[in-house]
Amino acid sequence: MTSQGLTREGVLKDLEERFRDCIVEVFDKSPKRVFIEVKPEPLVRMANYLFKDLGARFNIASGLDTRSHIEILYHFTIEDLNLLISLRVKLDREHPAIDSLAPSFEAANWIEREMHELLGIDFNGHPDLRRLLLPDQWPEGVFPLRQDYEEWDPEAIRDRGV
Amino acid sequence: MDFKLRALLKSPWVFHLSTGSCNNCDIEILDCLTPRFDIERFGMVLAGSIKHADVLLVTGSCNRQSVERLKRLYEQMPKPCLVVAIGECSLSRGMFIHSYNCPKPLDKIIPVDVYIPGCPPKPEAIIAGVVKLIEKVGGTT
Repeated sequence: MTSQGLTREGVLKDLEERFRDCIVEVFDKSPKRVFIEVKPEPLVRMANYLFKDLGARFNIASGLDTRSHIEILYHFTIEDLNLLISLRVKLDREHPAIDSLAPSFEAANWIEREMHELLGIDFNGHPDLRRLLLPDQWPEGVFPLRQDYEEWDPEAIRDRGV
Repeated sequence: MDFKLRALLKSPWVFHLSTGSCNNCDIEILDCLTPRFDIERFGMVLAGSIKHADVLLVTGSCNRQSVERLKRLYEQMPKPCLVVAIGECSLSRGMFIHSYNCPKPLDKIIPVDVYIPGCPPKPEAIIAGVVKLIEKVGGTT
């Protein structure tokens, strides 16, 4: 099945029926934007359905550190419908871990590496979870985009000297 | 003044290095080379290799990854040489001063001869800065 002949309502209804047990909440924000909160375990299955069966494009994933959880939003667009579907996953703050999407499609590889080093999310089954952006001397276990990040470098200068 | 340095400044060859800038300063540097501003009338030419350069133009906020490359380039540069910091980011890191990835300003890493402030500085400001540099060293413009 491709995205030919699909409607926005049809796609959403199909997703809700097919993944009834996995979906926590559907938030229909605007005609172009839908947020679907999903449980972490079946995410790979749902992302694969969107990507391979519906023909959606994987835009990007974004990681967030909120008060209660660490969230990942996987953004998929169905271009024929002009619809952006964001799958929201809430992870435990202490040990955030989720199955990797990189074995399913290569585009998830680098963004998962980036979220792994900046937010400390573990991606199970990722083929190559090395550092991507941070320098080699960066200490292990310090995640700069966490809310509780604190300066670790004693040599850093944070005033303008005036 | 240093005779060798003064001799260089008849026609300073310039190497342009971006240490993680937003590219706006880099666009203004390119503007300087266009016929409208034509910085070549002062003898300045962009050098393709740091080993041919007399002046190092640095833009950007010196993040942890690029600082290593910056130090390596500065070591490879033939001495005596001059360093010009262009834009607010390379002067004081601008809005990135509290960023986890920008620990030090440029002048705490390598010695800087001229500061050209602005976000981004206009081509006129860059030309004025470079002309002041040449006059300070004792060359003629």
